[in-house]
Amino acid sequence: MEGQLQARRWLWLYALVLLLYASLATWWVYFFFNQADWIVAHVRSAGGLLTEPQVEVLREVSARTARMFLMESGFLFLLLAGSAVFVLRALRRERLLVRQQRNFLAAITHELRSPVASARLYVESLQLGRVEPDKQARYLQHAGEDLQRLTATIDELLEGRRLLERGLAVHPEPLDLGAYVRQGFERLLALHGAAGATLLLDAPAPVPALADPVAVDRILDNLVSNGVKYGGSPARVEVGVRAHGRWAELSVRDHGPGLQGADRARLFEPFVRGGDESVRRRPGVGLGLFIVHELARLHGGDVQVEDGLPGGGTRFTVRLPAEGTAHP
Amino acid sequence: MSARLVVVEDEAHLAEVISDNLRLEGWEVSLAGDGAAALRVVRQQHPDLVLLDVMLPELDGFAVCQTLRAEGNQVPILFLTAKSGVGDRLRGLELGGDDYLGKPFDLRELIARVRAILRRAEWLRSPSTAGDVLRLGAATVDFRSYEARIGDRLLQLSPKEVLILRCLAERPGEVVSRNEILDRVWGYDAFPTTRTIDNFIVRLRRLLEPDARNPRFIHTVRGTGYRLTP
Repeated sequence: MEGQLQARRWLWLYALVLLLYASLATWWVYFFFNQADWIVAHVRSAGGLLTEPQVEVLREVSARTARMFLMESGFLFLLLAGSAVFVLRALRRERLLVRQQRNFLAAITHELRSPVASARLYVESLQLGRVEPDKQARYLQHAGEDLQRLTATIDELLEGRRLLERGLAVHPEPLDLGAYVRQGFERLLALHGAAGATLLLDAPAPVPALADPVAVDRILDNLVSNGVKYGGSPARVEVGVRAHGRWAELSVRDHGPGLQGADRARLFEPFVRGGDESVRRRPGVGLGLFIVHELARLHGGDVQVEDGLPGGGTRFTVRLPAEGTAHP
Repeated sequence: MSARLVVVEDEAHLAEVISDNLRLEGWEVSLAGDGAAALRVVRQQHPDLVLLDVMLPELDGFAVCQTLRAEGNQVPILFLTAKSGVGDRLRGLELGGDDYLGKPFDLRELIARVRAILRRAEWLRSPSTAGDVLRLGAATVDFRSYEARIGDRLLQLSPKEVLILRCLAERPGEVVSRNEILDRVWGYDAFPTTRTIDNFIVRLRRLLEPDARNPRFIHTVRGTGYRLTP
C-alpha cells in the first residue's frame, strides 16, 4: 500500500513535468516562428536597412529552426508520454498483485484455521465429556482428518516456497506416455472415484515421448484433481493421450463452469486461485497449475488452455516432446 | 421453549461439532451449507440466533447479514470466521452482526456467547420490570413507543437511548456499570468503547433533565457507571 501511494505521487510529478515541458515547448515554437519579424522590426527601428531578399532569408532560417525544434520537442514529448503509459501499466499490475496477495493470505488463513478450529472443538468436546460414547470414535477420526488436512496444507505451502527459491528439475527419458498414463490411471480412479467423480481415459495407441515419469505423475495428479475440484458436481473428467506432430500431448478436460473470467495470463502463476476468496472456496493454496506449467516448460513443452468448450468446461493440454525430437 | 439456532457453515466437520454441542445445551439446531440456503432457512424458521460463517460458497456471510437486515429481519447474528482482522470484525458488526468469534475458538466461549446473545434478546422482548413508563420529574418516557413527553413537547428517542434508560430504571438507586450497560444494550464486550455510553448519557440529560449540568435524575458515579434516581 505504502509503495503504491509513493508510485502515485511520482506519477503526478511526472504529469506535472510533462505539462511544464509541453507549455515551454509551445512557447519556444511560437518564439522561433516569430523570431524573424522581431529581428526585422528591431533593426529597422534602430535605423538599419534590410532589403526584402535579406528579410526573406531571415524568415526562411527562422522557420526552419522552428520546424526542427517542433519535431525534436514533439519526439521528446512522445517519449515522455510513452514512458508515462508504461509507468501507469506497471502501477495497475502492482495493484493486481497486491489484491492477489491479499486473496492468497485470505485463502491460506482459511485453509490453516478451519481444520485447527474443528480439530480443537472435537478434542475439547471429548475432554469436557460432551460426546456420547457411540460418537467418540467418530470424533477422534474427524479430528485426525483435520490434522492431516492441516499437514497437507503446510507441506504444500513449504513446497511452494522451495519451488520458488530453487525451481524444479526434470530427468526426461524415453517413455510410452499412453501406456504410462494407463498404468497410473487405476490410482487416480481409486482416489477420486470414492468422492463421486467420474474419470474417463482415452489413450488407445502408444505415444512415444521424452518425459520424466515422476513429472508426468505430478502433472496428471494436479490437472485431474483440479478438474475434480472445479468440474462441477458430480465431476466428470476426461483424460486423453495422443501423438500430435512433434509433440506427445496429455489433455485433461472437465465439464465445470469454466474459467469464469479468471485472469488467463496469470493462471499459471504461483498462489493464484480461481475466483474471489470469500465466496469461492476450494481446498488448495494455488500451486497446482504453476507446477504443471513449470514441469512442461522444463521438458521444453508448454500448456495450452481451451475454455468455453461445447458442453461447457475447460481443457488443459500439456505438450511434451515426442521421442526422437530434440529440444533445448 | 428451547431456543432455535441456525448454524451456517460449509465445513462439514465444523458444522457437525458445533451443532452437536449446541444441541447438548438443549437448543434446536438447523444447518445451512451456503449463503443462499442460510437465507432460505432463516426466512422459513424465524430462529432466535444465526451462527454465520463469513467465507461461504456462492454468497458470503456478510452479504447474507446485509440481505437479512435490508429485509428488516433483526434476528441476532453471531459471526464465526477464520477472518479475524480488526477490519473484518468491524465490518461484520457495522453490517448489523451482534457478535464476532474468530476461528479457532474455545468451545466454552462459543456457548457462553450464544447464551449471552439469547439472554439479551430475551431481555429485549420481555416487558421491563420497571414498568412501561418511566417518570423523571416533568418528563415521562414510554419504553414501548420510544417516546418522551416533557410538558407538551413530544420527543422521539432512539432504541439505544431507551434501552440505556431501561437498563438504569430496572435498578433504581443502584450503580449500573458501563460494562454492564454495554453488555445488555450492545451485547458484546468492549465494542463500542465505554466512551460511547458517556455520549449517550450526555444527550439523555440534555433531553430529560431540567438542568443538564446539575443532573437530578441521571447521576455519574465516578470511575464506575451511572445511577438513576427517579
